[in-house]
Amino acid sequence: MTAALHAEFLKLRTTRLVAGMTGIAVALTALIGILEAVTAGTGTGMAIPSLATAAGLRDNLASPGFALLIAALLGVVSASGEFRLKTATDTYLDQPRRGRVLAAKAVAAAAGGALLGIAAAAAATGIALGFAASRGFPLALPATTIARYASGTIVGAALLAAAGVGAGSLIRHQVGAIIAVVSWGLVVELVVAATLPSAGRFLPYTAAAMMAGDTNGGGMPQIPRGVIALPYPAAIAVLAAIVVAIAAAATLTTARRDVA
Amino acid sequence: MTVIEVSGLVKRFGSAAVVDDLSFAVGAGSVTAFLGPNGAGKTTTLRMLLGLVRPTSGAAMIRGRPYQDLGDQRRRVGAVLEVAGFHPGRTVAGHLRVRCAARGIQRSRIEAVLADTGMGELAGRRAGSLSLGERQRLGLAGALLGDPDVLILDEPANGLDPAGVLWLRGFLRRLADEGRTVLVSSHILAEVAQFADQAIVINGGRLVLAGPVAELVSAVRQALVVRTPRAEALRDALVSEGATVRAVAPDQLEITGLGSEQVATLAAALSIPVYEMTAAAGRLEDAFLQLTAAEGRPG
Repeated sequence: MTAALHAEFLKLRTTRLVAGMTGIAVALTALIGILEAVTAGTGTGMAIPSLATAAGLRDNLASPGFALLIAALLGVVSASGEFRLKTATDTYLDQPRRGRVLAAKAVAAAAGGALLGIAAAAAATGIALGFAASRGFPLALPATTIARYASGTIVGAALLAAAGVGAGSLIRHQVGAIIAVVSWGLVVELVVAATLPSAGRFLPYTAAAMMAGDTNGGGMPQIPRGVIALPYPAAIAVLAAIVVAIAAAATLTTARRDVA
Repeated sequence: MTVIEVSGLVKRFGSAAVVDDLSFAVGAGSVTAFLGPNGAGKTTTLRMLLGLVRPTSGAAMIRGRPYQDLGDQRRRVGAVLEVAGFHPGRTVAGHLRVRCAARGIQRSRIEAVLADTGMGELAGRRAGSLSLGERQRLGLAGALLGDPDVLILDEPANGLDPAGVLWLRGFLRRLADEGRTVLVSSHILAEVAQFADQAIVINGGRLVLAGPVAELVSAVRQALVVRTPRAEALRDALVSEGATVRAVAPDQLEITGLGSEQVATLAAALSIPVYEMTAAAGRLEDAFLQLTAAEGRPG
C-alpha cells in the first residue's frame, strides 16, 4: 500500500493536473466572489444581500461552490485519465491489487482536492473580507463561522475529489465521466433537492456546498429553498460514507473488469 | 525449466472465442517469438498472462503462479504492452520515478536503464514529445527497472524505422544472451526470425505450431524474386519446370517451387539475362496459409 500511495502522490506531483484544476477553481471562485461583492446589496447582478449583513457575507464567502465541483473533476480526471492515456496497463502491472491502487488514488486525489480547497477558500475569504473592509463594514459573522466555512470548503473539496476517483473508475470514458459528474452536481442534485428538499442535504455536492457556507436560496450554486444544511460533523460523515460507497462499487467493478 | 506456462486458456468476448484452448510453455533463458496475424489473440493472451484480462477458463502462470500472486518476484518480470502508455506531460525521468515508486524499486536504477536503452540524454524530455521509437525505448526502460529475468513484450517493433528494428534485434538478443527469458509477440516472421530461438504460432486463438524458429522458417516455402528484361520468356520456362510464377512487376517475377540454383541454371541455358535474384522474406501470413492448409485447419 505504501508503494501505491507513493506512486499516486508522485503521479500528481509530476503533472500539472492539481495546479491546473486549482487555477480553474480559484478563477471561478474569484469571478463569482468579485461579481457578488461588487453587486452585493444593490439588488442587481448576483443579487446577494449587502456585505454588511450576515447573509450577504455568508453568501459571498460561499463563492467556492463551483470550485467544489472542480475538485470532484480532479478525482475523475486522475482516475479516468489512466484509461484515456493508456497508463492503466503499467499501473496495474506494477500493482495488480487493484483495490490498493484505487485506495491510494483516492487518498492522493483527496490531498490534491484539499490543496485546491485551501486555495479556493483563501480566495473567497480574501475577496469577501477585503470588499467588506473596503466599504468600512464591520465583520458581520463571527471569525469561527468564517473559519468553519473555509474548512468546509477544504474538507468538502478533499472528499469530493476522492469520490471523483470512484466515479472516474466506474466510468472509464473520461469525457463521459466528466459530463456525468457535472450533470449530477448541477442538474440531478438540483432536481432531486427541489423535489425532495428533505433528501437534498444528503446529496454529496449539496452537502459539501452547504459546508462551505452555501445556503438555500442564496449564493452559487443556487440550492433550492427548503434544503436545510446538515450539522457540520454530520455533513462530513455523510460525504465520507458516500466516498466509501462509491469507492467500494469502483473497487468491485475494477477488480472484475479487464484492462484492455 | 519452464518459466511461462499457459494451459487450456480460453477467453470469450460474448460468444466469440478470442483465445481458444491455448496451451504452450516457455523455457528459461530463451527468446520465444509469439507469432500470429493481427487479431490472432496474442495481445489478449499476454494480458491474461499478466493478470490484466480475466481468462474465461484455463490458466496462465509465470513460475507456477498467476502474475498477481508473484509477490516480490513480480519485480523480476518486466513487460511492455502499450507503446503509448505515458502521460504526455510527464518527463521521461518522471515516468520512470513513478514506476520505481509503484514497484518499490530504488531510483538509482533509472540512470542504468536509461543508459541501457540509449535514452540517457532524454531524461528531462516530456513523454509527449518523444518519437515512436523513443517511446518504445522508454517502454523497454520501464520494463527493465526491476532488472527482470522474464520479459514479455507485445509487438515492440511496431512502427519502428529500419534502424530502430535493427537496434531492437540487437537489444533483445543481448538480453537473451544475459540469460533472461524473453517472450516477444509479432505478426512478422522476418522481424523475429533473426533473434528468436523458439516460436509459438497461433491463429484464431488456437495453437498452430510450437518449436524452434528454424523449423518454422523452413516450413515457410521460400520465394525468389528475379529481375530480368525477358520476364515472359523466363516465366514460361519456369512454369514448364513446375514452378509457380507470379509477375510482381513488368520485369520482376516471384517464383516458388524451384531453388535459386535451378532458376539460375535454367536462365543461363536459355541465355536470359538476370539482373537480380533475391529471396523474398517469408511473411507470416504466407506461413499461416501453408501451415493451416496442410493441417486442414481454418485460417
